[in-house]
Amino acid sequence: MKKVMSNKLMIALYILPALLLIGVLIYVPLVLTGYYGLMKWDGIGDMTFIGLENYMEAIKDEDFWSSASHSFLLAVFSTLSLAIYLIISLILASKIKGSDILRKIYLIPMLLSSVAIAQLWIKVYNPINGMLNSLLMTLGVDNPPAWLAEPDIVLYAIFIPILWQYAGFYILIYYAALKNIPETLIEAARIDGATAWQIAYKIKLPLIMGVVKVTIVLAIVGSLKYFDLIFVMTGGGPNGASEVMASYMYKLAFASYDFGYGSAIGFLLLVITLIVTVIIQKLTESKDELQY
Amino acid sequence: MGRLGYSILYVFLAIVAVIQVFPLVWLFMFSLKDNSEIFGLSPFALPTDPKWENYVKAWQGDIGLYFFNSIWITVLAIILTVILASMATFAITRMQWKLSGFVLILFMVGLMIPVQSALIPLFSMFLGVNLIDNPLSIVITYTTYNLPITMMILLGFYYTLPREIEEAAVIDGCSINRLFFQIILPMTTPVMSTTVIINMIYNWNEFIFVNTFINSNKFKTLTVGIQNFIGQYQTDWGPIGATLIISIVPVLILFFFFSNKVVEGISSSAVKG
Amino acid sequence: MNTKKAFSTIFVVLVALFLLAGCGSNGDSASKNDGASSDSDDSTVINFMHQWTEGSSAKQNKLVNDIISAFEKENPGVKVEQEVLSAEQYKDKLKVLAASNELPDVGQAWPGGWLKPYAEGNKFASFDDILDDEFRNKFAGGTLESFEVEGKTYGLPEEINITGIFYNKAIFEENGVEVPTTLAELKNVATVLKDNGVTPIALGNKDRWTGSIWYMYLADRIAGPDTIENAVNRTGTFEDPGLIEAAAQIQELVGQGAFIKGTNGMTNLEAENMFMNGLTAMYLTASWSLPNFTTNEDTPQEFKDNVGYFKFPTVEGGKGDIDSFVGGTAGVFVAEKSEVKEEAKQFAKFFVEKLAESSLQDAGIIPAMKLDTESLDLPPLVSQMLGDLANASDITLFADNIMTAQPAQVHLDMIQSLFGGNVTPEEFVEAHEEALSNNE
Repeated sequence: MKKVMSNKLMIALYILPALLLIGVLIYVPLVLTGYYGLMKWDGIGDMTFIGLENYMEAIKDEDFWSSASHSFLLAVFSTLSLAIYLIISLILASKIKGSDILRKIYLIPMLLSSVAIAQLWIKVYNPINGMLNSLLMTLGVDNPPAWLAEPDIVLYAIFIPILWQYAGFYILIYYAALKNIPETLIEAARIDGATAWQIAYKIKLPLIMGVVKVTIVLAIVGSLKYFDLIFVMTGGGPNGASEVMASYMYKLAFASYDFGYGSAIGFLLLVITLIVTVIIQKLTESKDELQY
Repeated sequence: MGRLGYSILYVFLAIVAVIQVFPLVWLFMFSLKDNSEIFGLSPFALPTDPKWENYVKAWQGDIGLYFFNSIWITVLAIILTVILASMATFAITRMQWKLSGFVLILFMVGLMIPVQSALIPLFSMFLGVNLIDNPLSIVITYTTYNLPITMMILLGFYYTLPREIEEAAVIDGCSINRLFFQIILPMTTPVMSTTVIINMIYNWNEFIFVNTFINSNKFKTLTVGIQNFIGQYQTDWGPIGATLIISIVPVLILFFFFSNKVVEGISSSAVKG
Repeated sequence: MNTKKAFSTIFVVLVALFLLAGCGSNGDSASKNDGASSDSDDSTVINFMHQWTEGSSAKQNKLVNDIISAFEKENPGVKVEQEVLSAEQYKDKLKVLAASNELPDVGQAWPGGWLKPYAEGNKFASFDDILDDEFRNKFAGGTLESFEVEGKTYGLPEEINITGIFYNKAIFEENGVEVPTTLAELKNVATVLKDNGVTPIALGNKDRWTGSIWYMYLADRIAGPDTIENAVNRTGTFEDPGLIEAAAQIQELVGQGAFIKGTNGMTNLEAENMFMNGLTAMYLTASWSLPNFTTNEDTPQEFKDNVGYFKFPTVEGGKGDIDSFVGGTAGVFVAEKSEVKEEAKQFAKFFVEKLAESSLQDAGIIPAMKLDTESLDLPPLVSQMLGDLANASDITLFADNIMTAQPAQVHLDMIQSLFGGNVTPEEFVEAHEEALSNNE
């Protein structure tokens, strides 16, 4: 057994194609990003080597840290909302009537491109005739806020579509994980008189814990480099109130012609994400992996 | 749970369902309106005079070609990603070697790179090997950039596969290839179909790479069809809505009618095989 | 066994594909970035990248195609390959191409701060060799100069846009207000409209350059046309009392509710459509909106009948006059590294000349060349704006056209803060002064 499963040639055959692709198409750009970060470069003319100056500047850059704090906040919200997705998945995976069709309906928003989702939510949030404010005004709210224009609100207003957009993604993963649990285990527990709640909490949840941990990492990494809807809906504004690390980097590299500094921010984004991921891994580490 | 509990649960589920279906309905109405209706009136409003010509406008030009390109690029990239990710995940989680932990971290770091900072290096690399304006560059990029997330999703499932299965297989004299292709892959079909759906959505809607690496019209994909209506000073939103609807139909069909079929099909053939 | 066969087949195909991707690329260098169709034997190919998309700017797109076919006819053996991208994608792709030294032979360009890095980085070719006096004199005053960097011309202007305040005549009439000619009158109009429950001005300041035009106008009217220009070229300062006053006036307008609610979170497109749907009385935009306001078939006739335009009001005691405009130009560049540079320049020249002949009539674009408008049959609104352009005392370029990229970004961000009340007028000018002096 051991001999077969540690055949070096086979391991290489299975791992190398993927590793090679990652190495060339992800690691080379990654290293180059770090390298461009050492340059003064507008992305057009000549590069000048300036050492760590961009990185030092970034560390002192208040706008960068404020964008980083927004990204962190998004990561926290994304992680917390995993609980809601998990509950929904538990309901959908249980044998209630119509769970199959409900599951598919719940995933519809995920199929839409960010272009469509951004347009939808711009219309939801329009201060004059948007859906949200129309609703609030019918309910008797006199002066509902302009959701995307107020610096104190905009960040939360824009988190909602992001969390909603990704709900389907995580529900899909949780659902697949829950369906993977052998029916016999659940039947046995039911015969022993366990309630639905007990089955969910004591049997299903521990069994899919490995998947849950993975989704936590995905949610955090995804949040820290998030860009799409924020760029389309607010462009990071107003006044930087909804700026996140990736939109800040984009702005510097592509709008301010400061490609060197933008690259340094991009590289820091990666380093920060890596550190956070390692911490999360350590926190959620458990010695005994459960098996069915 | 009592009868009342179930009723409340169903009401809740139904409300969520309405919220989730709404975007599709909205997008469809959107696709039948013109700019002034889209922006001037409530999004709830039905189109006063449905503009089916938006669909005609959307279908003009090369959308058929874009459609075809989207399909083959998406499908090819999905196959490559899922197979390569499964193989790598299998090697990392089931085979025994010293560096497996380290290699896994290498793949995970791949999740973290922001696409925008990779554009310029990727462009010069593809330029160096003459892959600019060649759809292969898109296929390879999609495959690679989806590998880490696909592997992460597969990972949790591979860890929970019972060891006994491969032990039995190996004792029976089964080779690694047979073990992987005939036993492990079929066992992971539910999660594989999950990753197929996720990959499909990513590839189908992607446009930054296509725009950057492809110059010729003949290799562009559906997302470009949308851009066609975004002008320098004016954007025609109705046909954009129509294009979005056209582009979502195949995804919806696949998703609604074939996702179960695919799962059932593969698992039953695996049992027979 | 079937599954096994299927999987092995897939596997073999995959491996084959990888070999193809890895090695095949060395073989066919024909598909190198020299144009879309490599089958076009040995003719010269000029790559032309632009934003006149077929779907939304159909008329412009058709015009471009007509000009290209005319050029190809006149120059046998030369082919022009187009790549059409939306605005956002065009600018992003151009940056990637510039960084990789792979610019298209001909492309669209903008003056001032946008152009400068490309000119200084030696990416764009200078047009001075083809700009003889005859050709030079065809351009309207100031347009060619906007594409100059250190005495050389790096772009041929193809269009010019000036801005003004468009208003809904019906709404003005219903509320008994007249077209304002001074800021005090404008404020008064806004107050009356607001009291009658009408939103006075649509402004989509999520896009930031929109609010910037308001500020540029006030700065021009209060501090005179040269103050900002001098502050930018560092012969003056941004901490000019007039520039502070202009910022203060913006905040007064915001304070009295002249602008639409939530302007900082609204896109220009939303704002324009709210104006076109009669939800607001006024909207500041450039002449590029004219086709949409006058000839676009989808625009309701009721709106077309009611839309009017007036010059940005003057400010009592200010140094600027009412005939000075805020506006901008756009043009085409030729890549310095282009292998067909001479042909590309000829095409660029041909393109702007032909565009000037018919763009106004056919597509509603005001060309950057002098033209005889008498003979044209134009909508009154267009004629009115053209007449004003002909009599303009001065044209101040858009802020992001005169400033280089970094101060321009600071300016745009500060504009949002100014409208949002997050900075005082003093902080507003300080931030500009700092950004401009850092960028020297």
